[in-house]
Amino acid sequence: MNTIFVIAKGTFGEAMRRRILNVFLFVALALMIMAVAFSSFTPRNELDLIKSMGLGVIQISGVFISVILGINLIPSEIERRTIYTILSKPVQRYEFLTGKFLGGLMTVLANIGLMSLVFIILLLIKERAFDKDVVLVLGGEMMIAFQLMLVSAMAVMFSVLVSPFVNFFLSFSIYFFGSITSLWSDMATSLGHLALLNQYLFRVLGWIVPNFENYNVQNPIIHPDTHIQNETTYTIYCITYAVLYSLIMMFLAIIQFNRKEV
Amino acid sequence: MSNDTPDAVPRDADTSRDVTAAAENAALANEGYVKAIEIKNLVKKYKSVTAVNDISLDVYEGEIFGFLGPNGAGKTTTIKTLLGLIFPTFGDVFVLGKPAGDIEVKEQISYLPESPYFYEHMTAREVVGFYGSLFGMRGKEKDLKVDELLDRVGLQADSKKQLRAFSKGMLQRVGIAQSLVNDPKVLFYDEPTSGLDPVAHRDIRNLLLHLKQEGRTIFLSSHQLSDVELVCDRVSILNRGKIRRLGNVEDLIAGGNVEIIAENLATSDSEMAHLKGITSNIEMVGNKVIITASADTQSKNRVLDWIRGNNGDVLSVAQTRRTLEDIFYETVREGDLEAGSAFAVPAPSESMEIHN
Repeated sequence: MNTIFVIAKGTFGEAMRRRILNVFLFVALALMIMAVAFSSFTPRNELDLIKSMGLGVIQISGVFISVILGINLIPSEIERRTIYTILSKPVQRYEFLTGKFLGGLMTVLANIGLMSLVFIILLLIKERAFDKDVVLVLGGEMMIAFQLMLVSAMAVMFSVLVSPFVNFFLSFSIYFFGSITSLWSDMATSLGHLALLNQYLFRVLGWIVPNFENYNVQNPIIHPDTHIQNETTYTIYCITYAVLYSLIMMFLAIIQFNRKEV
Repeated sequence: MSNDTPDAVPRDADTSRDVTAAAENAALANEGYVKAIEIKNLVKKYKSVTAVNDISLDVYEGEIFGFLGPNGAGKTTTIKTLLGLIFPTFGDVFVLGKPAGDIEVKEQISYLPESPYFYEHMTAREVVGFYGSLFGMRGKEKDLKVDELLDRVGLQADSKKQLRAFSKGMLQRVGIAQSLVNDPKVLFYDEPTSGLDPVAHRDIRNLLLHLKQEGRTIFLSSHQLSDVELVCDRVSILNRGKIRRLGNVEDLIAGGNVEIIAENLATSDSEMAHLKGITSNIEMVGNKVIITASADTQSKNRVLDWIRGNNGDVLSVAQTRRTLEDIFYETVREGDLEAGSAFAVPAPSESMEIHN
């Protein structure tokens, strides 16, 4: 555990100084500030729009940070040869990979944590009260964090298989398809008996591709009338899904990384 | 110097080119030397390219072993196999009696890659501490070790600077410091003096000798043949994935040639043909003849007997000492000629002068 922590800490320290991530962070912060500053405080739906926009900015910039970080965590160590001095020490490959993943995840969480903090402060200034909507936004941010854990694990898993360039498009494509899973299931059911094969294909893909749509909390904020029957169960399900899926991704990554020549 | 150390591998090992690496290894093993590194029939292939082609090699505890070869010879591939970073296609690799890559082995070895890179945002102190932490060091134990190592490599004054502000030589010192953090028994150094200024170069060379005096085994890959000649006990020369030479440095560079100058020879064509049977390197200058022959006693005596037999006067007999660079050049060129890819420009003759 100590080794994993040491590697995670080193990764976090380095990743937080990466300029490209800082750019995403500052752009996201600027967008949120502008969204709040340039809106007039009146109708209820406008405030909901701001919340949705804020969460959307956090989510999108979080995904960019997760993917860019995840696809480079291992390849950059190989390219710069830092991996040689680390793996020639008593460090198991699974410890290295897990440490890198956790360091990357810590970076992603620190970035969205900072964005979330700024966003909540802006909301409080705007609303002049701490109401249930703020709690709802906090819940949304938590769901985004778990979604980004999933994205990071996926990007790290692919990073031991393909080049960063391929991984960039692969991870974003999967994120995109995973974000429209309801559209898939609608298509699968509307295909009818003649396209049974396609139905199965969509179902299998639905199992393989992570369901990122579950973590999209903007819709309930924009449409407060859409309620989830049991919110606690739903949240626990989403968190369990993200943790299990990430564990599977990391397990596959470790199997591959153990055989990888560096 | 390397032969000051009592643990040094003996100088009398057979280094004849015809003697196989296995025979050389067996000879030393029979004399009770403990193997620190054992490579048995290592083959490493990358798709259709064979980077290392059936090499066998033993390195003994307490010696500095020079692992030489031109670029692309398979040196780094072999080192990476020894560290467990890549895996053999065929053959076995052992370090300290255990398979390469074993976690217990890694506790006792260290590696300094060529042009090492470390996390630039860290200070020298943090980097050495980071590597110490990978060995489970914490708190005061780690701090003391870091201080000791930074003192040893002369970086104490710069220990709080970020590595991004370091020169190549300073980074190399950080690399050396991290390589000593676990008091390793076996060190793998890949080009430790590459790109360094003469002072840093000499410091690292001296450090290697100190490490040897401390009883550590050093597996040194370097293109700095003058350094290798000074610090190594034994060397192997690798070319195109095969070991072409293996032996003690002194034995390899010993021998060389002998240059005999004689005059007043009364020779016939048949006698000259006889001499050409001993050596073909004969030069006539006026009434003098300069004969260069192998320095082994038999060849030398045959030439001297031939001169006396032809009523000649021997003016001088001078032994020409070869350097490791000569041996390296010869060996690599032989391999390249075999493969039909030798560099087209011949080596300059000794009489050629270079004018700036």
